[in-house]
Amino acid sequence: MNRKKILGSHVKRMLSGVSDHGKKHLSEVETDLLQTNLLLEEAIEKLSRNFMAIHDAVNAQQTTIRLLLDGGTPSAEDKAKLEAMNEQVSTYVNAAITSMQFQDMTSQLIDRTLKRVTGLREFLATLGTYGAEMDPESDNDAIVDLLGKVSMALAIQSLELRSVLRKAVSQKHLESGDIELCIRDRF
Amino acid sequence: MAKTILAVDDSSSLRQMVAFSLKAAGYQVVEAVDGQDGLEKAKLQTVDLVLTDQNMPKMDGLQLIAHLRELPAYAKTPILMLTTESSDEMKAKGRAAGANGWLVKPFDPQRLIEVVKKVIG
Repeated sequence: MNRKKILGSHVKRMLSGVSDHGKKHLSEVETDLLQTNLLLEEAIEKLSRNFMAIHDAVNAQQTTIRLLLDGGTPSAEDKAKLEAMNEQVSTYVNAAITSMQFQDMTSQLIDRTLKRVTGLREFLATLGTYGAEMDPESDNDAIVDLLGKVSMALAIQSLELRSVLRKAVSQKHLESGDIELCIRDRF
Repeated sequence: MAKTILAVDDSSSLRQMVAFSLKAAGYQVVEAVDGQDGLEKAKLQTVDLVLTDQNMPKMDGLQLIAHLRELPAYAKTPILMLTTESSDEMKAKGRAAGANGWLVKPFDPQRLIEVVKKVIG
């Protein structure tokens, strides 16, 4: 391969590397943001629904509570209603607790998105630094050498970023997750 | 006497939700903000069950389990992971470290209590 071809090959590799790296991280950012949005929408919708249901259940108990405060005796039907409402409230509270966990999941997604943005900025900064060092009068050998260094630096940065960005949150909805127990081996 | 559960999670809202649910069911709860804090608290007071997240600063859940299993007091204590991670690879790592179960977030309080009752009564 002559020098011209080597130079062309380096330029091609670097440009496609920058393009692949940038597109990959931006599409991951996009996916994480969409997932964050889905989780937030569902969580807020569930929280609102359960909040209103708790409010309605508490309101519905007021008549019987007032009767008790006034020294009256609630009917068997009133007692049954109160007990049923208590169970209903517990169900709404449980559903609200499940929904409130969105904060933990979305904060992990946002944290990963920020790391990707930071990684992409550092990647572009590396390009800028090497670009600034480049002498426009350089001969082909010097340019090939510089492009090799740039490609190597970008590849290392890309690997480092990938190593700290595991996809830990894959949930898209707020149904409670699976449970697996392997308790036989121990206690 | 109420059983004591160590809940380890770096998310304060998650710790609150776990503690709220477990206390409502009659358990005592000790909270820890990460694996290192969890390990220190587990050494100060022996607990009946450890419920830990995986991804945490300073010390993650797998490291915490490995350290706990080295302590005689925690050789057979039930340890459950409560995490957003659900991959088979991570579950296998959990089992290898000594975890007895895997609960994927978000948790439903009623199901959490059922599991805890099944494990420690």
